Amino acid sequence: MTHGQTIAIASGKGGVGKTWFAITLAHALTRLGRRAMLFDADLGLANVDIQLGLTPRLDLATVISGKATLADATLHCADGGFDIVAGRSGSGLLSAIDPATLERTLAALQIAAARYDVVLLDLGAGLERAVRRMSAWANRLLVLATEEPTSLTDAYAVLKLYAADRPDGKARIVVNQASTRTAGERTFATLERACQTFLGRAPALAGIIRRDERVGDAIRRQTLLLSRHPNAPAAVDIEAIARSL
Amino acid sequence: MRLKRYRAAGMAQAMAQVRAELGADALILATQRLGNGVEVTAALEPDEAPLTPLVSADPKLVAALDFHGVPALLRGELQRGDLATTLAGAFGFAALPLEERPLLIAGPPGTGKTLTVARLATRLVMSGIKPLVITADGKRAGATEQLAAFTKLLGISLVVACHPVTVGRALTRREPDTPVLIDCPGCDAYDPAQVEELSALASTANAAIVLVLAAGLDPAEAVDVARIYASAGARLLIATKLDLARRLGSILAAAGTGLALAEAGIGPGAADGLLPITPAWLAARLLSGVS
Ligand SMILES: Nc1ncnc2c1ncn2[C@@H]1O[C@H](COP(=O)(O)OP(=O)(O)OP(=O)(O)O)[C@@H](O)[C@H]1O
Ligand SMILES: [Mg+2]
Repeated sequence: MTHGQTIAIASGKGGVGKTWFAITLAHALTRLGRRAMLFDADLGLANVDIQLGLTPRLDLATVISGKATLADATLHCADGGFDIVAGRSGSGLLSAIDPATLERTLAALQIAAARYDVVLLDLGAGLERAVRRMSAWANRLLVLATEEPTSLTDAYAVLKLYAADRPDGKARIVVNQASTRTAGERTFATLERACQTFLGRAPALAGIIRRDERVGDAIRRQTLLLSRHPNAPAAVDIEAIARSL
Repeated sequence: MRLKRYRAAGMAQAMAQVRAELGADALILATQRLGNGVEVTAALEPDEAPLTPLVSADPKLVAALDFHGVPALLRGELQRGDLATTLAGAFGFAALPLEERPLLIAGPPGTGKTLTVARLATRLVMSGIKPLVITADGKRAGATEQLAAFTKLLGISLVVACHPVTVGRALTRREPDTPVLIDCPGCDAYDPAQVEELSALASTANAAIVLVLAAGLDPAEAVDVARIYASAGARLLIATKLDLARRLGSILAAAGTGLALAEAGIGPGAADGLLPITPAWLAARLLSGVS
């Protein structure tokens, strides 16, 4: 992985595990010795800070309104060893961000990214303009999908827009909540075939994460999975993805 | 994409369901044994217009393309990143092939063909090369005099031709390797007879047709004219009167038909009024002077 990489994490459909995945991936990368930053780019319902049990004094909303710099709003997650920029939880205020402000924010993020090995963007659900723009803006895109038809359809929609916006881009798929590895591979193959046929290009597989009740347990306790259950199947799966990046 | 899963006792039944519901175009994405039956995942992608890429939304760039009236079709491409780079990708840029073939400087009436010929001749003379200048515009009153004033000043000869045969004769008589500039009468793109005449002249002279188009035209009109000239054999474009019009949408629209951008007329001077167009210069020009 090269220095200052930006990786957007999208899914189209909500609730498939983006935020949990982004947090755990940031943690896994940190454990591999990489300097990681997690940027909560969910402009509607940000909740990275909630999942981590942090109470940020400043967040992205203060940055966007010009009251603080991105550096001011950067918080260190001591348990995980990585930095985060929190969103504005539950206000939905930022979802109407105008294009020019979004570009300014991304420009600031690009500059901040130079201080890290990798910056992860936890994108919101849906296909709004800002989500689309940030997917195309990042150096790489990871698309999370589960085996549910709605998730597959929405992941496909993300990939279709990405194909239009970034003809050169190479998106990768993360299958989450797979009942088994084989089932996860089947989910990927389904999406791959749809993309190859309808879009003329297929994404690669970044990895498969098995469904694991310890994920919910860690989230409920606002702790990090890799700290609390380092040998859980989902933990092992995410670490494999982190190594492959 | 519409995706649906079908369960049935056997493959044939499942496929029949797929066809009945999604039609013959349905794509089978996956099939799987399930208990003592099968599950088929099928999808259908409705035909839609291709997605337009999301603009990178550099507000300054968007405002500039708005101001210039750049056609929507070109915008997506030009908004993708650094303008000089996207321009270089979207359009052809080429030097005039003065050393290879005679140039037929053509275009609708009043676009500045004669002045362009004079300027190109001036540039050549100033670099120590004496071109042969021919005017095929012998019929129009005053056209010859205007050019003759220039060639006299430059100390080069001017051939006045009212017929393609005269042009051909002048060409065979010239010194080898002499660049040739032919000033054409204004050619109304919408008059097939005039366009035909232009093509005929180009083939007699074995010349490259260079379209001279003035800035400020309606972009859609510019596209129509450029297409007609391109079908008559034009491959190069000279944009004139950039000092008299601020909006360059029509020039980009014309270049978008496949004509390579060669030169731009940017001021009244005979010696410095014409500039070779580069992507960087064009980008700067498009971004500056937006109000
Ligand atoms: N591999 C997994 N195994 C079990 N449960 C999981 C797994 N991944 C995610 N989940 C569950 O999915 C739920 C949603 O996770 P998360 O909030 O991260 O989703 P999201 O995609 O960020 O949602 P939103 O679209 O609302 O932002 C969590 O409660 C979590 O317990
Ligand atoms: Mg989330």
